[in-house]
Amino acid sequence: MGEFKVHRVRFFDYMPTAIRAMAFNSRTERLALARADGALEIFNFADNYFQEKVIPGQDGRAVEALCWVGQRLFSAGLNGEITEYDLENLRPRYTVEAYGGPIWTISSNSQGTLLAVGCEDGTVKMFEILEERIQFQRNLDRQKGRIISLSWHPSGTLIAAGMMDMIRIFDAETGRATHRLLVERGVGASKSKEVVVWSIVFLSDHTIVSGDSAGKVQIWDGVTGTLVRTQLVTKWDVLALSVSNDESSLVAGTSEGTVVQFQFISSTVGQQDKEWVRTRTFKNHSHDVRALAHTETAVVSGGMDTQLVVRPLLDKVEKNTQESALRKMTLPHRSLVCCAKKAGLLLFQFPDHLELWRLGESDGHGKPGDSLPVKRKPEKLIQLKRKGEDHICCSALSPCGGWLAYSTVTSFRLYRLQNNNISITKVSKLPKDLRSAHQLCFSPDSSKLFASSSHSSVIVVALNQPECKYLHTLKPKSGESEQPVHLLFASEDGKWLATANTDCEIHVYNLDKLKLHCTVPVYSSCPTAIAIHPTTSNLVAVHADQQIFEFSLVQKEYTEWSRKLQKQGLHSLWLERDTPITHVAFNPQNPAHIILHDTFMFCIIDQSLPLPEAKTPFYNQMTLRSLPEPQRIIHSHAFKICKNFQHLMCVSLLEDHSLVVVERPLLNIMSQLPAPVRQKKFAT
Amino acid sequence: MAKKQRGKSASSSKTADIKQQTDHFSLMLESSDDEAPEEVTFEDSKAEALRSMKQALDTARREKEQLKEKRRKRQELFQEQKKRKLLPADVLEEIDSKEEKEEERQTGTCPEVCKLPFSTPERESASFQQQAAEDFLQSRMYGPGSCRTTSNELLSLQNKTGRNKSAAVQFCFNPEHCELCPNNTRT
Repeated sequence: MGEFKVHRVRFFDYMPTAIRAMAFNSRTERLALARADGALEIFNFADNYFQEKVIPGQDGRAVEALCWVGQRLFSAGLNGEITEYDLENLRPRYTVEAYGGPIWTISSNSQGTLLAVGCEDGTVKMFEILEERIQFQRNLDRQKGRIISLSWHPSGTLIAAGMMDMIRIFDAETGRATHRLLVERGVGASKSKEVVVWSIVFLSDHTIVSGDSAGKVQIWDGVTGTLVRTQLVTKWDVLALSVSNDESSLVAGTSEGTVVQFQFISSTVGQQDKEWVRTRTFKNHSHDVRALAHTETAVVSGGMDTQLVVRPLLDKVEKNTQESALRKMTLPHRSLVCCAKKAGLLLFQFPDHLELWRLGESDGHGKPGDSLPVKRKPEKLIQLKRKGEDHICCSALSPCGGWLAYSTVTSFRLYRLQNNNISITKVSKLPKDLRSAHQLCFSPDSSKLFASSSHSSVIVVALNQPECKYLHTLKPKSGESEQPVHLLFASEDGKWLATANTDCEIHVYNLDKLKLHCTVPVYSSCPTAIAIHPTTSNLVAVHADQQIFEFSLVQKEYTEWSRKLQKQGLHSLWLERDTPITHVAFNPQNPAHIILHDTFMFCIIDQSLPLPEAKTPFYNQMTLRSLPEPQRIIHSHAFKICKNFQHLMCVSLLEDHSLVVVERPLLNIMSQLPAPVRQKKFAT
Repeated sequence: MAKKQRGKSASSSKTADIKQQTDHFSLMLESSDDEAPEEVTFEDSKAEALRSMKQALDTARREKEQLKEKRRKRQELFQEQKKRKLLPADVLEEIDSKEEKEEERQTGTCPEVCKLPFSTPERESASFQQQAAEDFLQSRMYGPGSCRTTSNELLSLQNKTGRNKSAAVQFCFNPEHCELCPNNTRT
């Protein structure tokens, strides 16, 4: 592997935000997730749970609920607005005021024609879903308390609404409230507090299931309006409910962090009469579970501990396979750290500000594994707060450390850094085409800035001090995909620019001629990291399903090594990793090296060494070190993996050949989370 | 034994009265149960009665004033709430009538049409309502009776009950030297 001096960086105070709501679209197999700061994320469950798209949040957009209507995504929040999102341009398409005060819940009927929202003022408002917008239709009978949760009956004729101390059933056509189901309050001290029906589900056989703040899951007969069963699930609140499409399984999320499953089965084998029986309990969260989704094969949960957990159900998938493994998504699937290789600077992207740090220095020498004495400590040079309400979407730092740029959904800002990176001046005259970008990238010689724009196009801007001039817009062939570009890479020699979009397309442009050079054959999985080798001009692409491809830009075909890798296949332990590779880099000292990393390891692929066979021990670095030199050569294989540093946010190589490893230990994140419930355990 | 006679002239000084009363008092201690009850002078009882009546009147007046103050404050609060509530209701009425008129002319720019004339006062009340809703959520989840502990304690408990027992988190937590919890394994 070679010896590297490692800058171990742990001063990136990245804090993920709590998950507030989620909605699963079973047709497209996409999960939409809303976070407490208003950010929206789309995960592709069919592509190894890759976080495909991220729409940055906005101050005040306190999203409380999400709803899919076909391919369209709607959200509603405490700011009283319903927002429809443009998933191709990664921004809100429009917002509509509901004029009912804060909105607590949103739900559409199964026909996809009407959208119902539950408001603070006690009204359920109906909106017609039209082609380009939604239009207010009418209010249902106004109630005397806030509407916290809603559920449509699959026929679209009835709506069940969870409120304070009661559940109301409305006739969707007349708007009249037909039934009132009274929910019992908690016992003891909580008798004086109103019970909040946090979540409600209306099943096709007219059964209503409700989860409330007294910790009960109650089953009601929606026809007669009577209580069928009560199950006390937790001492705290039941915050979320979700039912499977075939209505045979239901899950409830609690404040304790548990997810309780109920199944509609007969209690004795062979008997016909089925009922809702509590079956499994999953404890995969340390804090409140506020959002749940029940897919065909798994239970997806998320809450205040910010982690997205997918728990496949063992009666739907085969046991002990890759499919049945528990998945936890903690860190984002894209890089929030930009490293200026020549200047030794790091740029950290937060939703509301950027931080520029200079790396520390050390003179010392030591053995592998030693901590070297620090001559000069790392220092924070600049903290740049964003302007406006929209959160930062993307940012970039030029390799020389002289330029800094960031973009939100509505604005773009470019800054010039001078005086050894201490002073910062805004470039005021920007080309008018440059309004906002999904991804930003500086050219290695810091002379150009590339900004990805709508319809997979890239705007090229020349950086001449002190201003910048529009040069060109690079476009893929016309009529092709409209999906946004999520990866950009400019080659060292300044000749090539590679882009990848969420439609799995990788385009390579020739920067000398400023036109499209070639398109890499489309692979079925979305690329998660791309890079161009500085000397061989080979494009390396890693995908969400952990496949690696190497494509020669000069010959416009896959390289020999790539074909060999595909023929042999990747090792099973490599393919079983559950976090994507987010960064690919190269070693100037050794052109055969490819440096990759995911959340839990970083790996140096040595193309000159043989590929590991299926039966070879994969993680063999420790054993190799103990072997004598000649034996080491026999047992080495191409994938050298290091797991010393976790959780990795970025691994990069500086010009002076030292490695920069940016870690964010999970413990640091956990210690800053809000208060969990106090559980009294025996002997503590 | 010497008893004060009834009808003694009112011109007798107060101090003489008092002195005589104390004399009476000391004499009373020595008297036995067979004796007839002490006689209180007319002046004394008149003064007493006047004093108690005055006190009663004072308390009654004070109470009335307090109630009045309370009522006034409550009325003010209601007025304020009514003012806050009234505004969105006004807006709602206007919009209802506007919507009926403009139904045909509505285009994709609908939100701008609705928002423009009612921006400032409506926005203020909306953000107030948003804050109130967030406070409600905060109080239900983290308010009194929610029985919460700190993340620190949760991690310390994990350390204490894990396979490799270690100290509570606050003692060894240092951002520079933070190590991963030994039982923090991925499943």
